[in-house]
Amino acid sequence: MTTDPIVRDYLNDLRRAARRLDKARARELQAEIEAHLQEAIPEDASEAQVRNELERLGTPEEIVEAERPAPPPAAAGIHEWAAIFLLLFGGFIFLIGWFAGLILLWSSRCWRTSEKWLGTMLIPGGLAAVLPLIAIVGSAQTCVRRNGITVRCTPVSGPLPVWVGWLFLILVVAGPIATTIFLARRARTPTALR
Amino acid sequence: MTVRDSLIPQLRRGVLEFCILALLRETERYGFEIVRRLTETDSLVTTEGTLYPLLSRLRREGLVDTTWRESPSGPPRRYYHLTASGHEALKAFIAEWERFRASVDTVLGTT
Repeated sequence: MTTDPIVRDYLNDLRRAARRLDKARARELQAEIEAHLQEAIPEDASEAQVRNELERLGTPEEIVEAERPAPPPAAAGIHEWAAIFLLLFGGFIFLIGWFAGLILLWSSRCWRTSEKWLGTMLIPGGLAAVLPLIAIVGSAQTCVRRNGITVRCTPVSGPLPVWVGWLFLILVVAGPIATTIFLARRARTPTALR
Repeated sequence: MTVRDSLIPQLRRGVLEFCILALLRETERYGFEIVRRLTETDSLVTTEGTLYPLLSRLRREGLVDTTWRESPSGPPRRYYHLTASGHEALKAFIAEWERFRASVDTVLGTT
């Protein structure tokens, strides 16, 4: 029966469709469908009979789809809160903290891929990204020092006007905070329900 | 979408797993046997293949358990039987279903 070319094609399609399942379950499902066909199609079945049986069975896509109607809704736990915290403040821990947050972000099932990209890009380093900017904005002035004590500072026109620096600064502070709030709110609703 | 398009498949899906449990109430059965018994009843099952994922879910949920047994013809078969919690779930569903059916019938005037 399984040597019938139509059946073989069907089983191949099933194997391909079942790839997104857990490996052990994919093998088991394949065996179950094969056993079913073994029982349903007699040795001397006509082509029409074979086609009827396969039609009754449904398409491989339909069968595999039925395997996973409801993935357990992932609820935000300590994993997600740690990710959010580290993305925001982890940069201050020699930047390594931010990368740890990134790993937690991408390994969580609470966020969609687009949300993970948002968390990654806005803004790399989190609030710690502010530090180099402060240095840049802060250095855009000349100070008069007397005996090592700063007396008076006047802004100088660097390559960029000072207000651009401040704009960046505000963005870099507001960006990670806004992203964090967004991710935290998203994490509280399981992806399956959105 | 008409009522038949959207509601009936949902109703069927919800009820089907209890029909499987009911088939196993008295005796153990193997997969193909369960599938064919269900398709004998009109409009309960549209695609036979999707019953195997359902059987696997019932197993994972501990409502049924399985044993491999030799078959008089061909390879061994996996037989399904109800567990204690399967019996429990079926009993609870039957009680719930009788109330539900009675209420709907009363309102629809279909008794």
